[in-house]
Amino acid sequence: MPSNPDMENRDIFILSKGHASLALYCILAEFGYFPIDKVYSFGSFKSDFGCHAQRCSVPGVELSTGSLGHGIGVAVGIALAFKIKKEQRKVYVLIGDGESNEGTVWEALMVAAKQKLDNMTVILDYNKSQERSLPITNPEEKFTAFDCNTVNVDGHDLASLEQAFKATAHEKPKVIIANTVKGYGCKTLTREMFAWHRRSPNDEELKILLGELNEESV
Amino acid sequence: MRNLFKDIILKLAEKDDRVVILLGDISAFLLREFASRYPQRFYNVGICENTIVSMAAGLNSQGFIPFVHTIAPFITERSYEQVKLDICYNNYACNIVTCGGSFDYAWDGATHHCYTDLELMRMLPDMEVMQPGSLVEFKTLVESQYCSPMPSYFRIAADTHNIAMPIEFGKGTLLFDKGSTLTIATAGPLLKNVYIACSELPVNLIYFHTIKPMDTGLLKQYSGKKILVVHDAFGLSEAICANIDAKIKYHGIPDKFCCSYGTLEQIREELGLNPEGIRTRIVKELMEWVD
Repeated sequence: MPSNPDMENRDIFILSKGHASLALYCILAEFGYFPIDKVYSFGSFKSDFGCHAQRCSVPGVELSTGSLGHGIGVAVGIALAFKIKKEQRKVYVLIGDGESNEGTVWEALMVAAKQKLDNMTVILDYNKSQERSLPITNPEEKFTAFDCNTVNVDGHDLASLEQAFKATAHEKPKVIIANTVKGYGCKTLTREMFAWHRRSPNDEELKILLGELNEESV
Repeated sequence: MRNLFKDIILKLAEKDDRVVILLGDISAFLLREFASRYPQRFYNVGICENTIVSMAAGLNSQGFIPFVHTIAPFITERSYEQVKLDICYNNYACNIVTCGGSFDYAWDGATHHCYTDLELMRMLPDMEVMQPGSLVEFKTLVESQYCSPMPSYFRIAADTHNIAMPIEFGKGTLLFDKGSTLTIATAGPLLKNVYIACSELPVNLIYFHTIKPMDTGLLKQYSGKKILVVHDAFGLSEAICANIDAKIKYHGIPDKFCCSYGTLEQIREELGLNPEGIRTRIVKELMEWVD
């Protein structure tokens, strides 16, 4: 698929929390969609790789997102299209808990449930970053109340995630609540979550962060 | 200008206990002193702009003066119907103070660019629309209009000009008149670049920080004449067209998304809104635009 990103029978992934674009670029590069070297131009004027990914510029990016609460609605449309065409394809959409403040998230879920879109999986990156404004409390109950097949997993445990993805949905959209820690792997980032939401480390800070990351992975 | 907003709103809250602030989960750290001193009047509501605008209407209905603050496109474009109906149609008032207008959030890409806001707000009955270009303009306009019975829209700009002039809500400024047949009109912080571009050219220059109500008194002096509107948004050109008969051309936003990242200066250069680009356009019109 990397050599043919528009392959017809592909499943679709949408990064609805579009500001996580850098992670998406790195993963797509890892899978061979483009050389990782290109991603080093991130954020610069003529780069294709910016803070919010563009679907027409970056292979593997299915939707240009950035304004929160949009990607999930588009995912509903895609899932519905698959149903109409009787295709076995799936759509996956990653949303944030902050993003879940947006009413469109819940509108989309209601429609997905009504349309029995069991070919759609929503992953909630539940990093509790909304504690300072509007947290999503009891997310499992909320999503279940919206008639979604909901499961709670450790978002850093790949085996649990894989199992959750593989579980069947039975005529309901699936929601995987991935419990995560913002900045996981770096003590400094997890400790200073809000300060690091949107900044780049200087050389000294980078050295420290990489040290912590390597320490964690050992 | 964002820091100045923090200072101004603190002073306003101190003297006027009707002031309430509603945030869309931005500037919470910046406004922490406000939160600490006036917890009953500070709400970091969340990333739910539609509800924030509706809440502002509700608060105003009970005598409060809300300030709604978040990133420009998410209020003016996403929540346009709430502004149109809950605020304007219901004759409620609030202060919408946004950041990220035009390309101030350059590196975030097209989803975070906002150049329709001034025109969208201008089209709403009774809305006061301001694009302050300097710190002193911002301070003067917010302090003057925050308790207006009309809803007010203010843009916080990442860039500012430092050209001194008298400042009054609803009044434009004639910066210079060289007796030219071509007048340049601009608004907001882009004046910095326009002024440099114009300074040695045989043109007149008029400037606006208030898009609505438009200073028709100033505009009428150029009625029937040639006006080139240089602006990093929509709204000024339309306001001028709506208020006088003149021959008007526009130099600003093209009919396509700006898909570049980078910096504000780089995007302005790409769009011909740096001093060089503006000057090139003005010279072209001086040479080619026939009366």
